[in-house]
Amino acid sequence: MFLTRSEYDRGVNTFSPEGRLFQVEYAIEAIKLGSTAIGIQTSEGVVLAVEKRVTSPLIEAGSIEKIMEVDKHIACAMSGLIADSKTLIDRARVEAQNHWFTYNEKMNVESVTQAVSNLALQFGDDDPDPGAMSRPFGVALLFAGIDEKGPRLFHMDPSGTFLQYDGKAIGSGSEGAQQALQEAFHKSMTLKEACKTALTILKQVMEEKLNATNVEMCTVTPQNLFRMFTKDELEAIIKDI
Amino acid sequence: MAFSDMMSYNSMKQPLQDYQAPNQLHFNPYDFNGGTILAIAGEDYALIATDTRLSQGFSIHSHDNPKTYPLSSKTVLGCCGFHGDVLTLTKVISARLQIFEKDHNKQMPTSSVAAMLSTILYYRRFFPYYTHNLVAGLDDDGKGCVYSFDPVGSYEREVFRAKGSASSMLQPLLDNQIGGKNQQGYVAQPLPLERCVTLVKDVFTSAAERDIYTGDSVQISIITKDGIKNERFPLRRD
Amino acid sequence: MALSGMFGRDGPGPLWGGGPTPGLFYNFPGSRNTSGMEAKQVTQSPVVTGSSVLGLQFKGGVIIAADMLGSYGSLARYRNCPRLLKVNDTTVIGAAGDYADFQHLSSAIEQRVIDEECMNDGFAYTPTSLHCWLTRVLYNRRCQFNPFWNTYIVAGLENDQPYLGYVDKIGMAYEAPSLACGFGAYLALPIIRDTMDKKGELTKEEAVDLIDRCMKLLYYRDARSLNKYQLAIITKDGVDLRGPIVSETNWEIAHMIKGYE
Repeated sequence: MFLTRSEYDRGVNTFSPEGRLFQVEYAIEAIKLGSTAIGIQTSEGVVLAVEKRVTSPLIEAGSIEKIMEVDKHIACAMSGLIADSKTLIDRARVEAQNHWFTYNEKMNVESVTQAVSNLALQFGDDDPDPGAMSRPFGVALLFAGIDEKGPRLFHMDPSGTFLQYDGKAIGSGSEGAQQALQEAFHKSMTLKEACKTALTILKQVMEEKLNATNVEMCTVTPQNLFRMFTKDELEAIIKDI
Repeated sequence: MAFSDMMSYNSMKQPLQDYQAPNQLHFNPYDFNGGTILAIAGEDYALIATDTRLSQGFSIHSHDNPKTYPLSSKTVLGCCGFHGDVLTLTKVISARLQIFEKDHNKQMPTSSVAAMLSTILYYRRFFPYYTHNLVAGLDDDGKGCVYSFDPVGSYEREVFRAKGSASSMLQPLLDNQIGGKNQQGYVAQPLPLERCVTLVKDVFTSAAERDIYTGDSVQISIITKDGIKNERFPLRRD
Repeated sequence: MALSGMFGRDGPGPLWGGGPTPGLFYNFPGSRNTSGMEAKQVTQSPVVTGSSVLGLQFKGGVIIAADMLGSYGSLARYRNCPRLLKVNDTTVIGAAGDYADFQHLSSAIEQRVIDEECMNDGFAYTPTSLHCWLTRVLYNRRCQFNPFWNTYIVAGLENDQPYLGYVDKIGMAYEAPSLACGFGAYLALPIIRDTMDKKGELTKEEAVDLIDRCMKLLYYRDARSLNKYQLAIITKDGVDLRGPIVSETNWEIAHMIKGYE
């Protein structure tokens, strides 16, 4: 893609003659610098696992949060510019609560993703609306949740495109991880298997040695809804890998 | 509520917008156009009935104006009181339903219609829609359900409820006939649809005798998993 | 009547005696007005008014009529006020109530019709769309506590079917096969309904006769009416706006009525 690089990558809302929006494409590239995050959808529930880059022993690892709760039944994992995700997660939370307030029901995972993707394309370099960004978001999100259609996993990138997946990896190790996911995934996978698979693949693609402090994992199930794994639970799974 | 209070409520809505003086008025923005609605939830059906009279004081505006509004294949709204507000409210609701359907790729469930209606009504807390509302339909489990509302959005799920001008005549009758109130040795059992329809015709016929705002005919909508069926039954026309 | 059902006659009552009530202006002793400004006044009562408008459907069309009096209170001030407005070849509206408000809305409607014609896309207002639009306009104004003090009757043909719609100053609207407002609702409408019930679908001639009979009756009994009226017949051939029509009246028995000399 860099062969056709030209003046057209200056403005965020100028198409190149080939019909591309370079800034959006660059934003997608930014994800590939981020830490790896994996999501797997099974019939029992969805699992999200992320790598945390603890680059210094002085960092308090617990302060790195890359999995967030959107609502009781929806979790979100991210990769890329984590600061950008705060705005998106905020929107997701507001939309989910607003839906519950108005309709007295849990918002669908797809609808939450749609609501967030509406925000993703509201950028522009001149006279932005208050609250809108001047550039595309540099973060990709994995939405995992339970709704009336069962366990659901959605991926959304900075272009606002979102798709449902059985298994999806994002971030620096995504290429290898996606390949591994494709080989490991099968429709009858249990949630327990999925958790183990997610960590196994994460271990393969991580530069550092995987341990209970440099990964985060959560599940969303019909019974327990959103649940983060504790350090002990993580260690128990890592031991088996 | 005294009417002059309403005025200041309204101007309180945007007290600082352009800091205008309070409006002093003597115009009544409300009217009462009569009408009675009644809804009953059965085991696998819901029934909602309305008379078809539209009146104002001693005049009858229309003999053919049912006050039920089908919202989807499993939800019907009953709405009476001030007809201007009824028209506006039902329009707002249909618009919101369409938007919901497009946004979420599904029909709005009856419970959500009820929740949404409550918020719509409450947003006009200080200049209320003067409407009495009932939502009847099937819930997510396919069981009949009825939600009743006050004009400012307070609501609850019930088994049977009458609203509107003759509600105070119908409700005690239903309490006795369906709720088993003041009956000795009453054993609660599911109400068959046929008996329910007969009961509705009877109570409306009685209400039309005593209430001048109820009459002309009664339209009964029966909501089952197969959709909505309508039935008309004549009442007094004077 | 209005809200008495909700809190009883006296509203929810104050939170504490002699203290402020939530949501209400409270004037502390000695202060003049909460905002220090005088209350704003808007049109709150009609000035020059029109009385009845009658409308009824017959086979293949609609007929609508209104007399031409503009009353100033009890004074028969203006005697040549057309209260019917031909909107287009399928739609006519008739107005009762404040004449100035009607003129104001008339010019708004006429402008919209011109704008629509400029589009030259074959679309025009139908009676239903105009009725719906009027309902929204009147309802919005009532919500601002600044109503258009009118009752409108919209008559026309929608897909060659007769259409009659009613809307008043608070946005109360409905459709019916026969309509009347003002005193016509009490004096003429029962006769129209009775005739239509007995005869079934009327012919155009029967409808015109019935309207004339009712307008005459209104002239006899409604003190705010005039023996000069306009009549519009809307059929698929277009709008036939007739008038001013003066009915033949008969006062032969008038002298026999005692006590009003």
